[in-house]
Amino acid sequence: MPLTSKERVARCLARRPADRVAMYDWFWAETEAEYVRRIGDPDLWCGMHGAQAGTHEKRTLWEYFDFDLMQVAWPDQRLRMVAPTVLDETDEWVLLRDGNDAELRWWRHKMGTPEHVRFGIDTPEKWARVKPLLQASRDRIRWVEFWPRYRRARERDMFVCFAGVEVIESVKDVLGHEQLCKAMLKQPDWIRDVFATYTQFEIDMFRLCEAEGMTCDGAFIYGDIAYKNGPFMSPKHYREFVYPCHKRLFDEFHARGMPVILHSDGDIRKLIPHFIDAGVDMINPMESRAGMDVRELAPQYGDRLGFCGNIDVMVLATNDRDRIQAELHSKMAAAMKYRGYMYHSDHSIPPGVTLETYRWLLDEVRRFGRYE
Amino acid sequence: MSVLEQIAQAVIDGDEVSTPKLVEQALVAGTSAKAVLQDGLLKGMTEVGRRFREGEYFVPEVLIAAEAMKAGTNLLKPHLAKAGVKPEATAIIGTVRGDLHDIGKNLVATMLEGAGFEVIDLGVDVPPEKFVEVCLSRKVDVVAMSALLTTTMPMMEQSVKKLKAEVQPTPTIIVGGAPVTQEYADKIGANGYGRDAATGAELAKSLVINKR
Repeated sequence: MPLTSKERVARCLARRPADRVAMYDWFWAETEAEYVRRIGDPDLWCGMHGAQAGTHEKRTLWEYFDFDLMQVAWPDQRLRMVAPTVLDETDEWVLLRDGNDAELRWWRHKMGTPEHVRFGIDTPEKWARVKPLLQASRDRIRWVEFWPRYRRARERDMFVCFAGVEVIESVKDVLGHEQLCKAMLKQPDWIRDVFATYTQFEIDMFRLCEAEGMTCDGAFIYGDIAYKNGPFMSPKHYREFVYPCHKRLFDEFHARGMPVILHSDGDIRKLIPHFIDAGVDMINPMESRAGMDVRELAPQYGDRLGFCGNIDVMVLATNDRDRIQAELHSKMAAAMKYRGYMYHSDHSIPPGVTLETYRWLLDEVRRFGRYE
Repeated sequence: MSVLEQIAQAVIDGDEVSTPKLVEQALVAGTSAKAVLQDGLLKGMTEVGRRFREGEYFVPEVLIAAEAMKAGTNLLKPHLAKAGVKPEATAIIGTVRGDLHDIGKNLVATMLEGAGFEVIDLGVDVPPEKFVEVCLSRKVDVVAMSALLTTTMPMMEQSVKKLKAEVQPTPTIIVGGAPVTQEYADKIGANGYGRDAATGAELAKSLVINKR
């Protein structure tokens, strides 16, 4: 008998038998817009990258493709909840000073990592002045967007995750990667204070959400702690600075029976044993081009950790069904032995993966991902 | 430990306070500026690169080592100029058109400096024409290009084509970035691919400086 999405994901995260692998995915904004346009359903709208006013009641691609998981909450982490100041602009890009006093250059018409031009919080003294601004409050959640999504997810028996970020992701927006990395070695007390503050803030926002009645089944925590060639920091420094914050945050979820999915791009292999110690139940998205391979990792950690992703977007973008099938079958077969596998691409579905290919891919996941 | 070895060690340790003091000490003792650079600062940075390539060092250690090297180099610059010591080679670096990502590119620039290059950073969103324009306006030995996005990789190919068509002799072209592979570098006709910042700098050095 088929399980509900909520039951399926819960069993997947607990590595217990289920009817088939659970499914979830993320799309680049351009892909989402193209799929929504092609599908042409007036009740469907782009909601993944922030819904437009008046569209919150409409369905998203997550529902259209019948995925098993829904994310809500996404607390706003900015120090000042203000509209960004435009410092310079062209037809192509805009240079903004945001609520973290960071100056970033963004593309106007497409997604992508911004250029880090300047970070205003660059001393412990400046941090001490702005630190009191980081207080949990109701206006830090887009309730108008997330309540309808939450209700629809509950009606569909989806697995609802509190979505938020961990400390590296939070702090890099305020200090920038370079300053963050250097300060860990040169100003460790400052960084410990910044990390502890953001961790407490995330916990407070989670509790606020819960108090409002938006209770969740699990947590989906974002934090790019690595890049193509490995973690930004050594395992030793992860253990010293980041691990205590992760443990504290993840303990908060586990205390309510909520498993934790940790998202980090890049090659996180050196940190996996530490993540498991910190309480991570599943990792995502497992970037293939960074060397992440569930066929190697499942035999090593499959009894303690779940895997969400690893289906190579570069292969998907070929639209070559034989290649895609080989990619899916070899990785899913390796991971399914351990039960804790959830389908997800190894990053986000890029433009170029046709809607026809994507529909076929999901059918194939459902067919091949069935447990006996 | 000689003072030059101490300078190298201070760079390896990322000690930006001791490094310039030791550079000063070496100069006062009569060590040539070139030796301080080559056998002190750059030797230290070469070891940092090795440790990074081999997974002993991570980004934070490299960044603070680069700061220490810069603190020493700033003090050394007038002495190098006075002695007529010029950089071994010149590299220009940029993130290709359509891509604003700069962290990886900055790290490669740092490692190139540590390998003895004078580095001209063209920044991000650099069009093929800009790479060509700079190469035509001055002697450039290495062009280093970075792309973070699969969608901007084709611009790397266009830049390589334009450089090969319009700059003779064409400088050595090395490429890198998250989606870039050796296979792709070969396909677009680049001279080399750096899987990480240290490997990229070492490759540039082996293709240009070590060949002399």
